[in-house]
Amino acid sequence: MNNLVDQIISWVIVLYGSAVPALFVIFLVGITGLREITRYESGNTFLYKLNPVIKLVLTIVVMTVAATTIWWIGAILTLILLLSYLTLNEGVRKFGYAFFLTLSTILGGTWSIAPYTPPSILQLAFPNVKQFTVIWTFPSYFQVMGYEQQLTLEALIYGLQTAFRVAPVLLSALLFITTTTGSDIFRMFTKIKIPIAITFSVLVGIRMIPRIFELLDTSVKMQYIRGLGYGKPRIISSLLIVYAIFEAIIPTMVYLFRGAKNLAISADTRGFRAYPSRTSLVELKFTSLDYYGLMIIVALIILAIVANLLGFGRTIPYVGA
Amino acid sequence: MAFNGIKFDTSVPGMIPWEIVTIYFIVGLAIVFYFARRFGLKSFTTIDLVYIAVGAAFSVVWEFYIGSFIGRFLPSTPFIGVGFWGRMFILLIVAALVRKPGTGMLSLLIFNILSDLFFYGFGGEPMYTIYEALTYGLFLDLVIIGSRGKLFGIGHKSTDGSSVATRTVLGLAVLEGIIIGILFAIPDPIFYLGFFRPLISGAIVNWATIQFDLLAFIPGDVIIGILGALAGQRIAKAVGQ
Repeated sequence: MNNLVDQIISWVIVLYGSAVPALFVIFLVGITGLREITRYESGNTFLYKLNPVIKLVLTIVVMTVAATTIWWIGAILTLILLLSYLTLNEGVRKFGYAFFLTLSTILGGTWSIAPYTPPSILQLAFPNVKQFTVIWTFPSYFQVMGYEQQLTLEALIYGLQTAFRVAPVLLSALLFITTTTGSDIFRMFTKIKIPIAITFSVLVGIRMIPRIFELLDTSVKMQYIRGLGYGKPRIISSLLIVYAIFEAIIPTMVYLFRGAKNLAISADTRGFRAYPSRTSLVELKFTSLDYYGLMIIVALIILAIVANLLGFGRTIPYVGA
Repeated sequence: MAFNGIKFDTSVPGMIPWEIVTIYFIVGLAIVFYFARRFGLKSFTTIDLVYIAVGAAFSVVWEFYIGSFIGRFLPSTPFIGVGFWGRMFILLIVAALVRKPGTGMLSLLIFNILSDLFFYGFGGEPMYTIYEALTYGLFLDLVIIGSRGKLFGIGHKSTDGSSVATRTVLGLAVLEGIIIGILFAIPDPIFYLGFFRPLISGAIVNWATIQFDLLAFIPGDVIIGILGALAGQRIAKAVGQ
């Protein structure tokens, strides 16, 4: 009997252990929230005024620092980046969305690492721990799916630590997108000599991502208006959002592909690709604010070097699931 | 070779020799340069570029925001790859709309740049861009070339120029979907588990896992290949391409 209960609990953990982060995103961020933190809105604060090249370099440096230093530096970076959302337009709301997305990323990241990490890696990560604290023992056949037989507290902590490698990168990437206009990204790519066809596609893609969320949101709401989940218990009706999103995909794609024609005609009639290069009225300028941005970049690089010299580098191998 | 405690291992037992991987990617790059010289980016019209961009944007939305969350409600096994399946499905629809050599590689390049902007923050680049464009992208382009630009039977005519039966066109779509499905199951187990993962994290290479994953990926990828081909055919018709 106990064995059967163990089997059932193990399967529930495997199947739904990572559903919690998903629910965070679906209910607390929602499609509207995702649209809001992937869309540019004009603003006047420091981040909006920074040169896009500086912002891009900052994103890459944040990724490098998080990847090459100890986990708590990644955690501090996550906190600082999260707080910087407060400086944006509608900062508190954006901060809220970013907070839940980060929480979801950290929980999801932890779960995608912890059950797969073998004790040999954990011994490298926690050399002073004599005996690992076992939280759950999976049936032996779970090894076929790559699960370690025992889920330990240390494995969860290790998963949490590696999740802090991803969280600051996600936050800085979204910060770049929400504070930079499409035109500035176009100018930046042109400046670094990327072919115009590729730049154009990337730019259209950037504009499309929030639009896709918007269309999916409309389609999901329409399905609810037409009676999806009507008369069913509230919890079931709310969970049907997953089904509604699934149903919305093909119509949204067809709608977007049809609209693509107008966009292409519009670009062609404005002489797109008539000449190999384009001229721009606006030049990307390097202002005094960008020097502050540059100082932050230099400070982060120094932080990574000093942390490594002091023994706070990432010395354990990262083993992805 | 090592950096920050992370070794770049090229001698893990069972790992594919780096020389073979290098030769593969050199040949891949040679094909890219051949495409670029023969067709170039100019062969893509503005609408093609917009289709590719929309497809890449949709793939990012699916793989990182929607599919990844839906996937968490499903068992974690190599038989199921919700995120990847979505990207594959969308890629096939874009390929059905554009049907020009280079579509696969360009789509994956744009997808990688977008996913870096929105998610990875340029982590892992340029390795993944090269890897995905020259595996999945290249395979798709080879099927496009093999079909002589009539991917999934779209625009396929008999030798005397008359239209062929719907059954033939459907058959072509299913066949090409199966071929693409099998091809798409290859790169992840072979290149990732057999080379990149041991290279980066010194992971143990287990050829039993590689074989198991390869076989486990095939059924799902083939089904999505067929569904993507049929959806691509219909969407191309609905959009008027």
